[in-house]
Amino acid sequence: MAVLEINDIVTAYGKIEALKGVSLSVAEGKITCLLGPNGAGKTTLMMTISGILKPQRGAIRFNGQDLAGKPARTVVGQGVALVPENRLVFPEMTVEENLKAGAYLRRDAGKVPSDIASVYERFPRLQERREQYAGTLSGGEQQMLAISRALMARPKLLLMDEPSLGLAPLIVEDIFRIVRELNNEGTTIFLVEQNAHMALQVAHHFYLIEQGKIVFDGSPDEMEEDEVIKRAYLGSKV
Amino acid sequence: MVDFIQNTLDGIFIGSSYALLAIGFTLIFGVMRRLNLSYGPSIMLGVFAGTLLYIQLNAGLLVVGLATVVGAVLAGLYVERICFWAVRRGAALASMVSSFAIWMQLEEAVTIVFPDRTYPFPPLADFTLKLGPFWVRGEHLIMFICASLLTILLHLLLYRTRFGLAIRAVSENPTAAKFMGINTGLVVMFAFALASVIGGVAGYLIASTDQQVTPLFGLWATFKGLIAMTLGGMGSIPGAIAGGLLLGVIEAQSVWYLGTEYRDLVAYAVLFAFLVFRPGGLFAQKSAMQSRLAARRV
Repeated sequence: MAVLEINDIVTAYGKIEALKGVSLSVAEGKITCLLGPNGAGKTTLMMTISGILKPQRGAIRFNGQDLAGKPARTVVGQGVALVPENRLVFPEMTVEENLKAGAYLRRDAGKVPSDIASVYERFPRLQERREQYAGTLSGGEQQMLAISRALMARPKLLLMDEPSLGLAPLIVEDIFRIVRELNNEGTTIFLVEQNAHMALQVAHHFYLIEQGKIVFDGSPDEMEEDEVIKRAYLGSKV
Repeated sequence: MVDFIQNTLDGIFIGSSYALLAIGFTLIFGVMRRLNLSYGPSIMLGVFAGTLLYIQLNAGLLVVGLATVVGAVLAGLYVERICFWAVRRGAALASMVSSFAIWMQLEEAVTIVFPDRTYPFPPLADFTLKLGPFWVRGEHLIMFICASLLTILLHLLLYRTRFGLAIRAVSENPTAAKFMGINTGLVVMFAFALASVIGGVAGYLIASTDQQVTPLFGLWATFKGLIAMTLGGMGSIPGAIAGGLLLGVIEAQSVWYLGTEYRDLVAYAVLFAFLVFRPGGLFAQKSAMQSRLAARRV
């Protein structure tokens, strides 16, 4: 069953259309991955779903509710949290304050401390650094913090915008292990990536976006069989 | 030596009100990354609201103080709607220029209602303490105590409450703050109101020390706050406090050793020296600037 359905979304910067009628759906309990080169519109789509950018046209339905053009706080309130590109942690807040910021909209404030505790259980490194400013963390630690911060909203759908960006290969493997772990625990994930090899190891379904349009829609197997994709995104390794 | 210490004490007392003005400036600059030149004039409007009640109804200290703060908050929110909310998608310069235009407007409006230029303001206290060889004016002492209390309250608000967390989140990265579900527009408005409360209290304390007000108070308050904020480091609250106290001490010393006419000259010379040799101020925010640059790459 599709938990997120995007229908014919057009988002423009001034007169330039970055998304030219994008339609896709994200199945409940699965990991869906959107692949594409730089400038194809991946981050624009994430910003549009999150409510930072307003689409010119089209529908974004999450659990049957239309979120297109709604402000970010409504989107988060409905259970969609984003791990933004470049992490965007609050550098002059402590690790723990970052987590509290992630729980900003939570009405059950009493349960927040136990959620913070379970974040620390998952990421002992964050517990060690809980009183440290987030700006002093390494790139990998910041990514873990950004993921944890999004989890503090207890999202039903987790959006991840290039979580592997700028990280060392070993850390990238860590991040993808966490992605799979979160999915196994029941979180639906919509992942944007450029790292097709890593994405192939975790995702259940793929979309490919080029110049603001979806040009491929299929399973990992179908993707690996597609000659064009093989040449452009998977190179000689497959 | 006694003179020097006495001047330093006087400077710190006066400087505590400059620190309040600088904190207000820095709060607004923090959430907006834009300068509000109308900050001083909106406080001036509050001070005149206070003086109006004083001359017309002979209102008591508390009522005058309350009117000053409420007037400053209303004027501050008016400035926020016109100069910041309405042009929030425009360049930062658009806000600065329109805040200059509103400054002129507020000053004109007050001059029309109060054509005599100089008006009385009720004094807060009329006593002088002697501490060993040093003298402390009562209103200076009250000014310092109020400024300290207000700063402590602000610190508690920013670091101990959920809304304080939201203000800091917006200051550090407005986009990321939106991802948390924070209503950034509301936070900005609240920060303006908060800055106006602080400015209103500062305006009240200063006006009751001077026991008079003129429409030029706005110009004066904007200059003092802006200089103190720049000395301390823009966007930093500890910087605003340090900058305010430093400015107060510099002024008190130059009045004593060089004469009143040199007070502003020396203050501007120090400001210029800072801009050349330490442009980030006493509390330069290196890490914040770097992360902001990183955020801009997105």
